[in-house]
Amino acid sequence: MKLHFYLFSILVSGMLLTSCEEPYTPPTTDADQQFVIEGYVEEGEGSLPTYVMVTRSIPYITTIGPDQLANIFVKDAKVTVYDGEKTVALTQLCLGDLPEELRAQAAAILGINADSTSLNICLYVDLLQQINKKQGGRYDLTVDIDGYVMTSTTTIPNFVPLFDAHFEEPPGEPSDTLAALWFKIKDPVGPNYYRYFTTDDEGDQLIAPFQSTTDDAFFDGKEFDFPLNQAERRGGGGDDNNNFDDFGLFTRGDSLTVKWMCLDKVHFDFWKTRDFAANSGGPFSSYTRIKTNINGGLGIWGGYSVQNYRLYCPPK
Amino acid sequence: MKSTLILFFTLALFSVTAQTQFTLSGYVKDGGTGETLIGANVFNLANAEQGTASNAYGFYSLTLPKGSYKIVFSYLGFQEQAFEVVMDKDLKLNVDMTEGITIEEIVVSADKEERAKNVEGTQMGTVSLPVENIKKLPAIFGEVDLLKAIQLLPGVRSSGEGNAGFYVRGGGPDQNLVLLDEAVVYNSGHMLGFFSVFNADAIKNTTLIKGGMPANYGGRLSSVLDIQMKEGNQKEYSAEGGVGLISSRLTIQGPIVKDKTSFIVSGRRTYIGDLAQAALKGSTFEGTNYYFYDLNAKINHKFSDSDRLFFSAYFGRDVLKFRQPKRDFRFDLPYGNSTATLRWNHLFTNKLFFNLSAVYNDYQFQFGGGQDEFEFKLFSGVKDWNLKLDFDYFAGTKHNIKYGLNYTYHTLTPNTASATSGDVEFNTGFLPKYANEYALYFMDDIKVNNDLAINAGIRYSIFSQLGPYTSKLDSTQYGTFQPAITYTGIEPRVNFKYKTSDESSIKGGITFTNQYLHLVSNSSSTLPTDIWVPSTEIVKPQRGVQYAIGFFKNFKNDTYETSVEVYYRDLKNQIDYADDYVNDITQEVEDGFVYGKGRAYGAEFFLKKSVGKLNGWIGYTLSRTERSFERIENGRWYPAVYDRTHDLSVVVNYQLSKKWEFGGIFIYGTGKLFTPINGFFFTEQNLNLFYGPRNSQRLDDYHRMDISFTYTPNPDSKKKWRGSWNFSVYNIYNRKNPFFINYDINTDFEKGTTSIEGTKITIFPFIPSITYNFKFN
Repeated sequence: MKLHFYLFSILVSGMLLTSCEEPYTPPTTDADQQFVIEGYVEEGEGSLPTYVMVTRSIPYITTIGPDQLANIFVKDAKVTVYDGEKTVALTQLCLGDLPEELRAQAAAILGINADSTSLNICLYVDLLQQINKKQGGRYDLTVDIDGYVMTSTTTIPNFVPLFDAHFEEPPGEPSDTLAALWFKIKDPVGPNYYRYFTTDDEGDQLIAPFQSTTDDAFFDGKEFDFPLNQAERRGGGGDDNNNFDDFGLFTRGDSLTVKWMCLDKVHFDFWKTRDFAANSGGPFSSYTRIKTNINGGLGIWGGYSVQNYRLYCPPK
Repeated sequence: MKSTLILFFTLALFSVTAQTQFTLSGYVKDGGTGETLIGANVFNLANAEQGTASNAYGFYSLTLPKGSYKIVFSYLGFQEQAFEVVMDKDLKLNVDMTEGITIEEIVVSADKEERAKNVEGTQMGTVSLPVENIKKLPAIFGEVDLLKAIQLLPGVRSSGEGNAGFYVRGGGPDQNLVLLDEAVVYNSGHMLGFFSVFNADAIKNTTLIKGGMPANYGGRLSSVLDIQMKEGNQKEYSAEGGVGLISSRLTIQGPIVKDKTSFIVSGRRTYIGDLAQAALKGSTFEGTNYYFYDLNAKINHKFSDSDRLFFSAYFGRDVLKFRQPKRDFRFDLPYGNSTATLRWNHLFTNKLFFNLSAVYNDYQFQFGGGQDEFEFKLFSGVKDWNLKLDFDYFAGTKHNIKYGLNYTYHTLTPNTASATSGDVEFNTGFLPKYANEYALYFMDDIKVNNDLAINAGIRYSIFSQLGPYTSKLDSTQYGTFQPAITYTGIEPRVNFKYKTSDESSIKGGITFTNQYLHLVSNSSSTLPTDIWVPSTEIVKPQRGVQYAIGFFKNFKNDTYETSVEVYYRDLKNQIDYADDYVNDITQEVEDGFVYGKGRAYGAEFFLKKSVGKLNGWIGYTLSRTERSFERIENGRWYPAVYDRTHDLSVVVNYQLSKKWEFGGIFIYGTGKLFTPINGFFFTEQNLNLFYGPRNSQRLDDYHRMDISFTYTPNPDSKKKWRGSWNFSVYNIYNRKNPFFINYDINTDFEKGTTSIEGTKITIFPFIPSITYNFKFN
């Protein structure tokens, strides 16, 4: 919905107005910074080990570089997960403490951008895979930082698979090099929440594409075909405005992976507000506070049931 | 209902009693065009207290004891007229006013009467702006705009840079009742609100009531903006129009049967998007276009002095077409209002004026688009059928009674979305909501004695949400026209005036109002996608009360009019979105509402000079507007987005010579509120923002100056074709007022840094424009 306002305002400004821009630095605030949790418990083929990252928020600053990031990771927290039967303590793992060759491997396993492994990323991992991960399971998280306790709860919903993957000509003008990826889904009656990642155009990272989190309010209980967008490399390379022609399309001859995930309502609400906040902006939008399920902090503790689909986009 | 009607007509018949006094009645008209004049003064020269004013249809009625009088008719910009009348029987007198200078003999008292309204009338916070005055103000791109002129009055502020939306005394944009020939205009803005839908050439009069709303108006909490269209020249055919930078307009009017039937048709369209077509050819966005247009039409017929029939209509649309042919991506976004009003004026007696109006209005918003086989449609709208009976009873010089009945059937379509992808269809399945709204009112303008006058009124409103509807609370199903829930409201309205001297008075008032339709915006200003929703079993009516008191004084024989007004408003059942609201078409907007309360208070200072070569006004407002919602920061009182501590407007008009006229505007206002960013956090290695308290910081203060020169080459020309040039400069000292702050987040993987660039965007710098206006008859 916000997209057309964006276009609308471009048109309006393009046609009529000579708008002018000046750098703006907001007045400094001594706002209290908060602890941020990002943790996932995943079940299914292609799932990651359960892990939790504990970071600090960063005050408003114009450039965030290695200096600011060096200190964001909170170390030596007590992180535990209760899976309904037992409480499992997660093990602290700092990539910087690992030997060079293991570092990249660990990053890949955890789905972390290899470029950022120069950072000393620290997280808490269920290294021994003790947590009983199952569809329908409930998982309670407790994070204790020197007596400051944050808690959260999530669930792993039942998985709804995709099927019948196929590549088609992109809409509009035919293309020799690009194709649109389509899948089928049979959505069960009742509320369901979905999210997906695809590998980016370099094929090495699973990233959330634009508009990749959805509920089924529009297609509850239906079976239908739908297209999936290819993810763009994070940071976008600055050509965001020129990608209309190949937006969301896959390159013929490439192999790719789609990670399809089902999540619960609370987890979905986090991504829905996050994506909305990230994509709204512009002259008419107001601010959006990102919902959280962390008591005492920001961020998300989320359960997923997942499956990876590995595909090859054939040449024409 | 039946008994109420009988009561109404019984009241009507009372007026034929008591013949120790006699009644002078008739219509006041512009002699040049036959157009009726609203609010013309009619009074006894020997005792101006014995006076009245013409109503919205130009009708007046003045009852006086038997005797001889010199009765004066006056209207701003017209030559006053005085008639010797011997009141020994009821008399009819239709007066044709002529434009020009006043006869020396009566200039003092008549002109004085006009300006003395500031001190004499019981109404507070009521301002009428003749369109001719508005046309003299500088205008951005030369587009004369009623709503932007309204924003220059104290207590009224613009909803944003260059925006025609307005907030009155701390009320939201949905709390203003905007009427065009009695039809409610649900969205008064074109192009995201940068221009209003009112084409000044078709408009006769604009009245803003920001405090002490009389009982004949209702359904909104804050203000009434009552706009009347011209009726059409009764005497001769004429055309007028203008050619501007972004749009052109043309109005044709004339008699069908001289002095009996006349019509007016007026149109306006923008063409800047059409001109851009050549540039877009061959580009990624070939075929993309945007334009808006308005069409006003009115016809009226006079059967006799006692019966007149009017039919007026408005149709306007904004059309945005977006095309991206290479990937077959397209959408169309048309939206706009249509209204139609049929009115019958009837004089039961020379004291009792009756008007029956049947009004239809329809606001539609559509968004349809698609890519390849995928088609998407979004629709929302408001449609009303409205019937109004209004009686205007000129009981004598001490009482002017108005009473009436109003019924509206509302159909409100929420955001109904549907889509097709190949053979599969999707839709949100939201059904329209239906409602009945009734109102009954009675008011009396009472002159207690020469010093004290009271306007007392009461309005009783009933609102029912009707089926077909399935309760969201208990799944009860309601059939067609079956009420699901009914709300009522008793709305007393009292205003008084007490004269403290010949040139000063104190006025005060208490006004209770209820509002049953709501529009909540999640944006910094109202957008065409914002949706009107009715009160339902979930959404409660908004309720408000306003207390106001003021001191009014004229100086130098009424050359200068001044006033100081203070007000306090208490608002209940205010509606907003929570700060984690996501605009989602699969959800009904009311499911995202949160409810709270509001308060607003302020002081307004006004100095006006309306005579002489140099005229204009200065308005200053000091105010505070706050809201509190349980679901937003636990009910903390925060300043509403409409809050503006200081607000100053200076409006100047100077007749340099017969050929040259100068207009100037200066505006200063405290900066707009915004919610600051407290910091950042990461998820999936993406940067997220988190915010501080709502509306806890302000952008830079807003100020700018606009000027205009109007050049009329042959001001005394008697030729058929008469033209004038308007040269306007918006924002003459190029103040870079912030429109919004944009944050760009860029990650540099090589350096391992993420930069956040805050950018202040200014949209209207120094903008010169030129418009050619013409008249032809």
